[in-house]
Amino acid sequence: MQPVSDSRRWAWPLLIGVLAAIGILLAIADIAAGAKWPNPMSDALVGPGVVVKTGVPASATPGTQTVRFDRTGVAEKFIFESPIGGIGPLNPYQAVRAFLSSGAGLVLLALAGLVVFPGRARNAVERLEARHGSEIAVGAGLVMVLLTLAAITLLRFTLLFLAVVPLVLFVALIASLFGIACISLWIGRLLRRRLRLSNAHPLIAALAGALVVFDLAVIPYAGVFAFAAVAMAGLGLAVVTRFGSAGGWSFGDLIW
Amino acid sequence: MTASESRSLACSRVRVLLEPYSDGELAREDRLQYEAVREHLGGCSDCRLQHEQAISLPFRLRALSSPPPPGSLVAGVMRTIASTRLASRRAWTLLVPEAVLAAFILWYLSGLEGITSVASGIVGDLLGLAGWSSGSGSLPSIPHADVPLLLALIALTAIAGYHLSILIRLAPGGRTGSGRHAASE
Repeated sequence: MQPVSDSRRWAWPLLIGVLAAIGILLAIADIAAGAKWPNPMSDALVGPGVVVKTGVPASATPGTQTVRFDRTGVAEKFIFESPIGGIGPLNPYQAVRAFLSSGAGLVLLALAGLVVFPGRARNAVERLEARHGSEIAVGAGLVMVLLTLAAITLLRFTLLFLAVVPLVLFVALIASLFGIACISLWIGRLLRRRLRLSNAHPLIAALAGALVVFDLAVIPYAGVFAFAAVAMAGLGLAVVTRFGSAGGWSFGDLIW
Repeated sequence: MTASESRSLACSRVRVLLEPYSDGELAREDRLQYEAVREHLGGCSDCRLQHEQAISLPFRLRALSSPPPPGSLVAGVMRTIASTRLASRRAWTLLVPEAVLAAFILWYLSGLEGITSVASGIVGDLLGLAGWSSGSGSLPSIPHADVPLLLALIALTAIAGYHLSILIRLAPGGRTGSGRHAASE
């Protein structure tokens, strides 16, 4: 193994730090843009405005979180007026909170997917890295969305099959999460190749990839579409590779 | 190496030296060992057999003829290429009927508002079903479906399923793909 120079050794932590900083900056912009259509991710990903109360009976303020120390003041101190007219105030505290909750959740799910199914994840990423792999994943994801919506609407008209709808949605959600985990690893490996970074643990590469996905999701206005595209491609990838199985789809067992 | 040591070579040593001996390399580089191997071969039938096989190998290989290609080889290759191209083209063209059917369903359900009401209806029915199963409510009333809508939904499901099968075949590692899985299969 060749010795890694100091500059290359710090390349991965630096990249992860830069991606995290970009995520927080984009989250600030996303919060400032508000929940105007098509920007629903402002509420879904970065959460509602800061509401932390204490000293007030829980019954008087339903839905608020009662904590031991009053941190309301801390949050309010970090709200600044926007220099650009027409958009909301800048709230870096809320952006950091969004990064530490939604971003960490996304990273955790991606890494968990890779840790639990390493072999399947490798198979899926290898197919994604092959020629036309990404185009096929996106196309299959689009078709799967159509198929799922049509199937759910069909199932809706029968009482017995209506109970199957949550199962269909659950499977689609799991498939999307597995696909997003694989796409995170794929992006991490892509970054390593393009930026000529040193070899790192695959989970480090996946962490960087998941941060890229989070950064895409908090782009004001376009984030919702970017994240939908990633989730759709993830769903398509999971379906095309049959959750990354080595054999893939085959009707061989039915022919005898 | 002394002359006496060379003359008493073990079979395992001779087997190692057989290749340079057969090539003539040993005769050029170490005459003494060459003589020792030759002497050993004169007295050891096993090693002599090995030597005979070694020197006959090039002739035997030359005698082998490559099997004639089957007559259907070219046609089979062309058919495989054509089916991949056809599948690739079909993967794009199938988007058209899917888009038409999706647009029809959207129009039939009165646009995005209709879709939203269908989604909220599904959620409401599921909650009603959960309430009924826990004994706190009655069974939800399932809406009547129109035949054109059902036909469109079934057609969209069938076309999307067929489209998906084509994409799976086109995917690297699929039946017509070129990944390592295809190679291993």
